[in-house]
Amino acid sequence: MNPVNYVILSAVLFSIGAIGVLVRRNAIIVFMSVELMLNAANLAFVAFARINGILSGQVIAFFVMVVAAAEVVVGLAIIVQIFRTRRSVSIDEPNLLKH
Amino acid sequence: MNPIMASAPALFTIRSVDYRAISPVLIILAVALVSVFVEAFVGRSARRPVQLVLVFGAFLATFIDLITLHATRLVTAAGSVAVDGPALVMQGAIILLAALAAMLMAERMVDPSGDPFAARASSLPGSVDEAEFSARGYFQTEVWPLLLFSVAGMMLFVSANDLLLMFVALEVMSLPIYLMAGMARRRRLLSQEASLKYFLLGAFASAFFLYGMALTFGFAGSVNLGSIADAVSAKPSQSGLLLLAVAMLSIGLLFKVAAVPFHQWTPDAYQGAPTAVTALMATTVKIAAFGALMRVLYVAFGGIRWDWTPMLWIVAILTMVVGSVIAVTQSDIKRMLAYSSVAQAGFILVGVIAVSGKGLASVLFYVIAYGFATIGAFAVVSVVRDASGEATHLSKWAGLGKKSPVTGAVLSLLMLSFAGIPLTSGFIGKFAVFSAAIANGATWLVIVAVIASVVSAFFYARVIVLMFFSEPTEATASVVVPSAFTTIVIAAGATVTVVVGIAPQPLLDLVNNAGLFLR
Amino acid sequence: MNGTVALSAADLQQVTPATGIFTLIALLIALPLAGAAILLLGGRRTNRWGPYLGVLTVTGSAVLAIVMLVKLMSLPTGSRSIGQNLYQWVFAGSFKVNFAFQLDQLSIVFVLLITIVGTLIHIYSLGYMAHDVDRRKFFGYLNLFVAAMLILVLAGNYLLLYVGWEGVGLASYLLIGFWQYKPAAAAAAKKAFVINRVGDVGLSLAIMVMFVTFGTVNYSDVFGSASHASQGTLTAIGLLLLLAACGKSAQFPLQSWLLDAMEGPTPVSALIHAATMVTAGVYLIVRSNAIFDRAPWAAGMVIAIGIITMFMGAIIGSAKDDIKKSLAGSTMSQIGYMITAAGLGPIGYVFAIFHLLTHGVFKAGLFLGAGSVMHGMKDNVNMRMYGALRKVMVVTFITFGACYLSIIGIPPFSGFWSKDDIIHAAFERGTLIGVAGVLVAGITGFYMTRMVAMTFFGKARWEDDAHPHESPKVMTIPLVILGVGAVVLGMALLFWGNIKTWLEPVTGLTEAPTVIPDWAIMTISLACVLVGAAIAFVMYARRSVPTTAPRGSWLTRAAREELYGNEVNNTLVVRPSYYASRVLNWFDARAIDGFVNGLGGFTGAAGTRLRRMQTGFARSYALSMVGGAVLVILALVLVRL
Repeated sequence: MNPVNYVILSAVLFSIGAIGVLVRRNAIIVFMSVELMLNAANLAFVAFARINGILSGQVIAFFVMVVAAAEVVVGLAIIVQIFRTRRSVSIDEPNLLKH
Repeated sequence: MNPIMASAPALFTIRSVDYRAISPVLIILAVALVSVFVEAFVGRSARRPVQLVLVFGAFLATFIDLITLHATRLVTAAGSVAVDGPALVMQGAIILLAALAAMLMAERMVDPSGDPFAARASSLPGSVDEAEFSARGYFQTEVWPLLLFSVAGMMLFVSANDLLLMFVALEVMSLPIYLMAGMARRRRLLSQEASLKYFLLGAFASAFFLYGMALTFGFAGSVNLGSIADAVSAKPSQSGLLLLAVAMLSIGLLFKVAAVPFHQWTPDAYQGAPTAVTALMATTVKIAAFGALMRVLYVAFGGIRWDWTPMLWIVAILTMVVGSVIAVTQSDIKRMLAYSSVAQAGFILVGVIAVSGKGLASVLFYVIAYGFATIGAFAVVSVVRDASGEATHLSKWAGLGKKSPVTGAVLSLLMLSFAGIPLTSGFIGKFAVFSAAIANGATWLVIVAVIASVVSAFFYARVIVLMFFSEPTEATASVVVPSAFTTIVIAAGATVTVVVGIAPQPLLDLVNNAGLFLR
Repeated sequence: MNGTVALSAADLQQVTPATGIFTLIALLIALPLAGAAILLLGGRRTNRWGPYLGVLTVTGSAVLAIVMLVKLMSLPTGSRSIGQNLYQWVFAGSFKVNFAFQLDQLSIVFVLLITIVGTLIHIYSLGYMAHDVDRRKFFGYLNLFVAAMLILVLAGNYLLLYVGWEGVGLASYLLIGFWQYKPAAAAAAKKAFVINRVGDVGLSLAIMVMFVTFGTVNYSDVFGSASHASQGTLTAIGLLLLLAACGKSAQFPLQSWLLDAMEGPTPVSALIHAATMVTAGVYLIVRSNAIFDRAPWAAGMVIAIGIITMFMGAIIGSAKDDIKKSLAGSTMSQIGYMITAAGLGPIGYVFAIFHLLTHGVFKAGLFLGAGSVMHGMKDNVNMRMYGALRKVMVVTFITFGACYLSIIGIPPFSGFWSKDDIIHAAFERGTLIGVAGVLVAGITGFYMTRMVAMTFFGKARWEDDAHPHESPKVMTIPLVILGVGAVVLGMALLFWGNIKTWLEPVTGLTEAPTVIPDWAIMTISLACVLVGAAIAFVMYARRSVPTTAPRGSWLTRAAREELYGNEVNNTLVVRPSYYASRVLNWFDARAIDGFVNGLGGFTGAAGTRLRRMQTGFARSYALSMVGGAVLVILALVLVRL
């Protein structure tokens, strides 16, 4: 299969992730959408590694996974804290800071 | 023949690393790890002094190390770290400003309960737990390892010559700050909200950066800035992929510098975060972000500057105009300073657009001068308090200059510097940035910039007028006498602003001798 | 006119390093600056002796300035330009700026005007502000102003001039708003600040263009290489400098702040808004003569602006019943004369400065006289409530009268010589310009006579509780000195000081061929003045003046509204920027969120209707980032197309 298709798939996944961030209200799902965007990038890295014939793209994908894992730790900590305070994970609810 | 197999052996060649050259980052990282262990193994009462010694010791050692390294110009670690003049200057500035921010974090005389951070970040706001922690006089020291990791990330961010390392550094810099933003002792709902918004939007922006990095990799077959530059000059035909890559990378970095329309997190995060953390975000992060932005655009994509300068023109104009205009309508001093930092980012972008050695030097000068003025301003904000904590609403600042002339005078000085009035560092900074841009033909941009700076002068002057030309009322806050920590920060901010304004030569020499980015 | 483009300053004389007494140039500035620092930072401890210290520092500067003048006069003509370099201020690559002062024939006359008139006004303020609780601060601000103004005129390069330029702006702002408990004063201070910043845009851009064109901002280097720059660049610099001058000198279209600035204490109006600061624009243009000489189009604009303001100021001055605002209109008008003269080129520069000096003295005298009247009338500024004061305030009346005869240009009073010269030079340039000068001289005669008649003649229309009395000695002595100055200064400068040849090395004077003989112009303008004065005298001294202003003709009403300058500003500048700010805020707050919430509803989520109008949603921020992403991508792609 033509590896360019994977690049296109990654772009579709990235867009789905971005739209998810915009339209979903649940902080966990918003966060998952961001992770989807990161993984779309991973897919692009691997696909480009194949296209360019350079292995380092795959290695980069591992780096990104590690960083994403760290981000999950921090993100969940913040979201859980908000949930405990407000009994809700809607990201529309914390809006004391505005204007 | 599988091409991947053919190139495999080269991947595992052991590259030499010049540990001496990257020692400043290593020192901070090592101390950060020690600091984590201190949290785990040192008794509660001894933790704070030990952490303070570690943090300030690490900053001191790193700064001395940077001074001994000042003439180093090399690229090491398989081309992924550039230890060059701009990187060293920015690292030095980051260390100094982070040390000042750390002093604000260490301040314990300002808040009556003894600490600017929540006793336990995990306790619920308003819960029995929280009350008990406070009653027992608990305080937390987890901010210190977080601070050190964040500073290590910033230092790597400005010297990363490789998009992958830059991405990792970006996250190492940002993740601790997301957490610290949510740790305020008072108004915890606001603080947590700031943390959540900053985090989600920051992660969103990182995703853009990462995808841009993937596209760059697809275009150039490498994420090393030097190799990207070679690929850019070698094959200008694949323009679609390249332009998309530049766009995505720029979005990630413009978010960090708080350029319009990627700025909306700024006022919320600045207002909600503990003021000491806001000071850190507004100064060191801004320096780091501009360093990385310029390195990516200048080193990797300098060959297609005519493609991205118009985009930056639009962003810079939007940033200056929107930042200045909205700041005029703000009624909270921290939000006003946030919009002011947006506007200032626009002025700095004018220098970035110059795409020249002069432009680089002027941006370095500007961010350093701006950093010291900003940290001084936030330090002043942190000592103006009433019964509910920091009095950030501007109505509570009416007549403050008459109640506390020295505090009022210092803040007025810093405001004049932001506005770019002569004999302050802000004037020299603006002059340097704007003349670099004019020298490169961006005259119209500078005209817009000067007009925006006039608008901005208005809201800076408004604070001065409020403090000195209004009578104090019942609601006027009072200035708490801080310990030596905050006093040092305020004094440093004011002193640097005046000295650099009157005798800018040493700092100008420093940034001019820094030279260009290596690749 | 181009036939007369002659030698400019840089061609004529070199700057020589300071020696002897001239090494003390910095002390001229340091004295009042130290005074300001002590008074403002010293706090209440200095309350008792502070004002006297303020007077002393300025007096010290004045004495030093006089010594320097004497010394300068003893030097040969070509070496009267002294430079003192304190230290290298900015050095970035090829860009060098020294913290350097330059004392030459032009700056010394300004230094003398600032310090001597400044000293008199400081002394006067001892009496005028005697009962003000904040008078220590007042003297601190006044000292700060004097220091900044001296920096402005002594600077050896444009960057340092800019420092002084901003400094006087700041001091003026602080002093206009000195009685900040009056809302009008606070508003006036803000207005002056904002409008002045518009002018500052011009100056800062001019400096940057100069730097990029010439690689330097030193006076001597810029003027020396001005001939190598293109016509377009020089015109641009000239117009930007003119914008700066318009802001600082209250010229059309940036004139509206000056009338409001009269909310400040009267000594401030005299020193800053009549004698010195507002003339900084004239100084700037005359100093930059090498640029304007080579940019005739820009010089033409200077003349146009000058003439427009000359008329506007005179018309406003004729209708205002507030004595200070009427004087402010007169100041605008007189500065219009100077600006016009400065636009005339080498034949006009000297006369611009000559008129500036005489005006500085007699207008300060008029303002202090007005202050003395107000002092006796319980701070009432309405001239319709005055009348017949000549008998109770004799000294004020006589000194005010001397200044009055000077400003309307009756020989041999000072104003006659300087104004006559300008009108004469204007006729050389073009008959219309000259006619404008003569007409405005006539209007000047009208409004000044109206002022004198309403204040000192006619019947007493005092309010019941007013008990007019002569002011104390500390106020009348400066009045007397200024009054004497108004009588003799013109002759002294012309015949004894020989101001024309004195300034020649800086301004490059050339005597143009005479078209119309001197005496003819003199007679015509004098006749005009006398007609104007006679009309005013009949209207306001012989007939009774109603205590409430009659409705008046459309012109009177327009003039009372300051020829709708504020309305024009509001419509063209203030309201659009106000709405722009509102719209941006609304867009930030509502439009993006409304759209996002609509999108949320579209995907099936309900219950957000109530929050539709609210803000602070992280998702709306994300949407604006996506919008930004689209913008960035489009901007990049469209460039390629």
